[in-house]
Amino acid sequence: MKKIFLLQIALVLLGTLSILSCKKDYPVDDDGLLITSRSDCYVSGFELLGADFQTVRTKLAAIDTTAQTINVEVLYGTDLKNLYPQFSLVTDATLDPKIVGRTDFSNLSAPREWTVVSGNRKVRKTYKVFLTVKQ
Amino acid sequence: MVFASLVTACKDDEFQIPAASDKLQNELIKRSLGPNIVGGTIEFAYAAAIVPEKGKLVSMSVEASFAGAAGTYLEHRSYSTSSAGVDVGVAIGNPSATTDKLTEVVFTADTSAATLRYYYKIPEEARGKTVSFKFSAKSSNGETIVYQTDAYEVRKMDMQLDLIAKDAANCYISIADMKTYDAAFAAANPGKIDLVYLYRALTAVTYGHSLVAPATDPVYLPAITLPAGLTNRSKIVKAFSVRDQQLARIQYGVFVDDVDLLSKDFDNAPDFAINLRAEGGIWVQTADGKYNAYIYVNSVNNTTKEMKISIKRLTVK
Repeated sequence: MKKIFLLQIALVLLGTLSILSCKKDYPVDDDGLLITSRSDCYVSGFELLGADFQTVRTKLAAIDTTAQTINVEVLYGTDLKNLYPQFSLVTDATLDPKIVGRTDFSNLSAPREWTVVSGNRKVRKTYKVFLTVKQ
Repeated sequence: MVFASLVTACKDDEFQIPAASDKLQNELIKRSLGPNIVGGTIEFAYAAAIVPEKGKLVSMSVEASFAGAAGTYLEHRSYSTSSAGVDVGVAIGNPSATTDKLTEVVFTADTSAATLRYYYKIPEEARGKTVSFKFSAKSSNGETIVYQTDAYEVRKMDMQLDLIAKDAANCYISIADMKTYDAAFAAANPGKIDLVYLYRALTAVTYGHSLVAPATDPVYLPAITLPAGLTNRSKIVKAFSVRDQQLARIQYGVFVDDVDLLSKDFDNAPDFAINLRAEGGIWVQTADGKYNAYIYVNSVNNTTKEMKISIKRLTVK
């Protein structure tokens, strides 16, 4: 009985120690998102919504992960000042700056830029979004 | 001893049919839903009953805090729902008489229980205020019963249903009047025109059915020469899933209310809305900032080049 009792105490101590030590294995950044060991850093998808929250793309956005550009063709009659972009990123990556609401894409000669930050927060790649309006 | 107490504890009381009260009774249900708008109707179902041995119903009446507009009436048929789910009406008196705030039906049939429907047409005097109703019933043994409702808010906004805008004919829309006009009227009253409706089947791009401000970029006004003097730059925000129940009259239960029109943000809004589809809509602010409106597209027709719209409009300035 005494042996089993001692074994149980040892197991409980081991458990608490491992829980305490595991906290260091799950670091979290300022936004509360997990920092992992992934170094992949790319945009996997791009959606653009208009003021009525319906898509304004005529076809899928062309994403070039080497050149770090996104080419989107939007419908004729799209209001470029009030658009809502949506990025799909690789696992664990984040976007900088955050998209908070309506975005102005009206300056077609000066493409908007967003930086993708990898899961381990070490790799940063800046993507340019080029818009063309269907004529 | 424990066993005996368990047995008595488990015994259920048999269901007893409740004894009917020997007084005159009444009950009220509000049947209409959504914001109460001037020109619209508030609908109630008012029921009264007395045990037949004591007497029968003599009259039912409704007194509104604001006299109802023309078209206010108390139905002189008593409705019940049949087993097939259909409402069946039985005439119990002559059509109701309305004098000022009071609407009354005098019973001619011999009945001691009836449910009458009351339709109140909301008058202009009630705009922005509250309206309440006092329903009452009288029985032949001298009893009277009264049901006082809560105060119902009447909205400040206006509504206009089923306007037809037709390309190259009545394609000039005025939010102030909530009407569509032709080019001749537009030329005579340029300041009234807030929107122009066009339908174009262009080959390179999808233009479709569109609503644009008269002062928009001419590229959004293909193949049309506007009358001189149309300078309103209305602000337009496209919407898609705002299928207001009172404008659309389809299965969705969304309501656009005064507060939605008042708080809509038109900063940086464009002055055009291209390729509108049925069940879509636009939020509009007139150039002078006086009206905020929501225009719902009931239907579009490519063959006749028409668009059917319904509007809810609020005076904000």
